[in-house]
Amino acid sequence: MNRRLFLQCLGCGATATVLTQTDLLPSALGGIQNACAFDYTKTLSEVEARYYIKRDEGGIECRLCPRHCRATDLERGYCGVRENRGDVYYTLVYGLPCSVNIDPIEKKPLFHFHPGTAAFSLATAGCNANCKFCQNWEISQTRPEQTDNIELPPQNIVDICRSRRVPTIAYTYSEPIIFYEYMYDTAELGHKHDVKSVMITGGYIEPEPLGVLLKTLDAVKVDLKAIREQYYRDIVSAELKPVLDGLVQIKKAGVWLEIVYLVVPTLNDSEQEFVDLARWIKANLGVDTPVHFSRFHPQYLLKNLPPTPLTTLETAWKICKAEGLHYVYLGNVPGHEAESTWCPHCGNAVIARRGYQILQNNLHGNTCKQCGQIIPGVFQ
Amino acid sequence: MSKVVVIRLAEKPDVSGLSEEQYRTLLYHGLSALSDGKPSRQVLSDLMPRGVVGMKTNCLTGRFNSTPTVLIDALTHLLIEAGIKENNIVIWERSNRELTKAGFALNASSFGRRCLGTDTNGVGYSREFYSCGEVNSLVSKVLTDLVDHNINVPILKDHSIAGLSGGIKNMFGAIHNPNKYHLTNCDPYAAQVINLEPLRTKQRLTVMDAVRVQYHGGPGFNPKHVVMYGGIVISADPVAADSIGLKIIEQYRAQNDLPALWQDHRPVKYLQTAAKLGLGIADESRIDLRTIHVDSNGSSKPGELFP
Repeated sequence: MNRRLFLQCLGCGATATVLTQTDLLPSALGGIQNACAFDYTKTLSEVEARYYIKRDEGGIECRLCPRHCRATDLERGYCGVRENRGDVYYTLVYGLPCSVNIDPIEKKPLFHFHPGTAAFSLATAGCNANCKFCQNWEISQTRPEQTDNIELPPQNIVDICRSRRVPTIAYTYSEPIIFYEYMYDTAELGHKHDVKSVMITGGYIEPEPLGVLLKTLDAVKVDLKAIREQYYRDIVSAELKPVLDGLVQIKKAGVWLEIVYLVVPTLNDSEQEFVDLARWIKANLGVDTPVHFSRFHPQYLLKNLPPTPLTTLETAWKICKAEGLHYVYLGNVPGHEAESTWCPHCGNAVIARRGYQILQNNLHGNTCKQCGQIIPGVFQ
Repeated sequence: MSKVVVIRLAEKPDVSGLSEEQYRTLLYHGLSALSDGKPSRQVLSDLMPRGVVGMKTNCLTGRFNSTPTVLIDALTHLLIEAGIKENNIVIWERSNRELTKAGFALNASSFGRRCLGTDTNGVGYSREFYSCGEVNSLVSKVLTDLVDHNINVPILKDHSIAGLSGGIKNMFGAIHNPNKYHLTNCDPYAAQVINLEPLRTKQRLTVMDAVRVQYHGGPGFNPKHVVMYGGIVISADPVAADSIGLKIIEQYRAQNDLPALWQDHRPVKYLQTAAKLGLGIADESRIDLRTIHVDSNGSSKPGELFP
């Protein structure tokens, strides 16, 4: 990695640098490829993975996520980025992101975590789910040989954040759980230099690695894709229960948590599901946990469905408010009043937003300027 | 009925395997037997009358457990005899690295026999998804754009998840996301993969190397469970070819006091699934199996499948 070149390119406005193999890029993404920014590499990493066991009968069993993939020599797990070589399990993507950007933290979205700041955002190829609506399938549903990767070890990320005064690193876009070792080491190093870390995840992970990881994270956003097990089986190719258990674990660990629920027409958009979702959050995470209802756009394997009608999103918003949740947002609907944070006590806009932009910040520390109500989150 | 030819050397080969000449002899006799006596060049030109011919190898595990280069050389020789231009022959695999590790020399030029991985610059995967049942994948542009016909040239081996790795499983190497389809012993996925439009319509022949058969401990090379079988399995029916391959694997498992694959929690159900999809015959009673032995003088006669 040529650090000087990298910094120059960040400085010259290369805000988006998805580095997916050209053949996989739809034309809409082609424009943001920036060949000047990085030295690409086709060599994969060979760093021993954490959380796996060697099986008596040969091969390994991965214990990072609930899939417990078994792999014999030269086989990979479901994620496509962890490979058994001689009964040692390796991560092939350590220090090799395929996508690097500096984004507003609101884009994650994290609305109660240092609003208006930037996040150095990165992803590697691979994912441990296969959501039929995936917006980033060009990187998440591929193997690392199929993406253009750059060499970016943890130290370089932290150096860039410090020199560019970017306060946070976001592990995002694909599924950071599958590049666990890279994320953990970067987050741990970042903490030593006052750089925060946030994980944007589907939350399909085993409790033990999650518990260890949470010690290095400052916030987590979980895509809770539905409140029905069948949806997880049919649309996500994963399971709901471990995700719900993980949400509770994150909350109990005291790490800031926000939830996104992508509303997919006809698949997870019934009023009863919104009721069940709100009640589950209220009972298990508390009414102060922010929930973002995000608008679906036809992508990947669900091109046959229309975008989510605004009325459906508003129904979800109303139901959750009626059930007592304090911070309910609508995403991918720029200009809607539900993009802003409203004080649950006095009803004034604490943070007024339009898209990823902060229009007004009426917080004093972590309280509403108007009435002094404490607004939960990490604001200072 | 589907016809499958198993053609073997009458004498067990040594561990170094076969020479190109020996493979060529097996192919001459085997292809001829497949078509009730037509010469091999006629068989190949009937199957692939014009255009570009691909040969999909299996090079996942390096030199010892991959498609032998000499088998591909022998097939190349026969294809040229059948009138295919050398540059219209494309050896292909998932990656250049795998081809190189298995001993192949890469060549993406317009001279000579081509040999390239899907990761070659300018190749890559299809822009659109191909779908069948649970499978949604991008397909190697070698198959979608470069070749008109495909000969599947796998090796016969045990697989820790799928049970059997033969011709059908080998085509996982044609899609961009095979890691998503190893659940439940690769069933129904393996069958659905070979039912993807370009895979199904361009498949012409399976030539499965069974000279050195790994009957347990695959797909990586595990010399403890290797037998020198000394043959190849040839069929235009991919399901029938694999069904006979499975029979060979199971025979050697039984001989070595290993449980049958279904008892080892690795039932090869995807063969039945493929048959149900109309991709070939899995029922042995409907397979016309011809076993031929070739002696050191190059003459052939009917023989036994075992030992």
